[in-house]
Amino acid sequence: MTKSDPVSFLPLPQAQFHVLVALSGGEMHGYAIMQAVEESSDGIVRMGPATLYGTLKRLVDFGLAEELDGGLSPEDDQRRRYYRLTGLGEQVCTAESVRLSRLVRRTRSNLRPRLA
Amino acid sequence: MSDHCRIYESMLWLYPRDFRREYRSDLVQNFNDLLVDHGIRSAWARTSIDLIVTVPRYRLEDIMSEQKSAVTINIAIAVLVAGAMLAMATGFYPLTPVLLIAAIVLAFVQRGALARAIRTPDNNRRRNRLVTAAVLAVICIIAWFSFLNAVGDDEISTASLLIHNAIGVPAMIGAVVYLIVGLLTPRVPRTTQNA
Repeated sequence: MTKSDPVSFLPLPQAQFHVLVALSGGEMHGYAIMQAVEESSDGIVRMGPATLYGTLKRLVDFGLAEELDGGLSPEDDQRRRYYRLTGLGEQVCTAESVRLSRLVRRTRSNLRPRLA
Repeated sequence: MSDHCRIYESMLWLYPRDFRREYRSDLVQNFNDLLVDHGIRSAWARTSIDLIVTVPRYRLEDIMSEQKSAVTINIAIAVLVAGAMLAMATGFYPLTPVLLIAAIVLAFVQRGALARAIRTPDNNRRRNRLVTAAVLAVICIIAWFSFLNAVGDDEISTASLLIHNAIGVPAMIGAVVYLIVGLLTPRVPRTTQNA
């Protein structure tokens, strides 16, 4: 069963959001996603192989990402399975980003005296 | 393939079959990439934590899936009924109604899942259920023959009685349940098979 309303997926689990953010940069294979997640989180989020593929399976089941066999361009490693965002995946990623940015704004305004 | 990859690949048996079948080569490839880029110690540190966290989680998710949960509840009902009979046979009378009520509650919970499982035509499932029923029936017959033999020889102890009942009774109930479910599972019509 796939839902079509992006808001119904929110809030996204952390691992799923990190993978969606990585895939928002374009199609990637599993290990590249793992590296991208580590880089974008300044090394704080380090996924193991099974966490990564469990998360990817869920995203594919939900219709937020899709598999590509062997990548699209000739430079892609044809032995690996590549993934990319679907239209719904992009919408969900955007919606989660907006939700989190609102949260960050609220946090900043509440803690402004201490942050200053 | 390095020895480390082989060890990791053998550990993938801990995961549910469907997950393993779908992602085995990707997981091994990914682990190999970790070995090359981060070294043996770092790769194993990350992967060990990953195994500890994900194996129970994926196993639990697998058990809680519709088909598996139906089987789990079937087994639980059989064990509870066997426990109730055992309690009655060994004189723990207060325990009998408690176990029977629990079995009845589970049977009601099961009805929805069982009905869904029976409604779906599937030749493989039908065959698997009937084979399971046959295997359980054989176990039950062996247990009862062994029990009768022990009774005939006047050498039966309480422990022996408990073991015979703990194996024979659940096997008998399981055989009946699987036989009924197997016979009720519809075959796929020939025209659909050929299509």
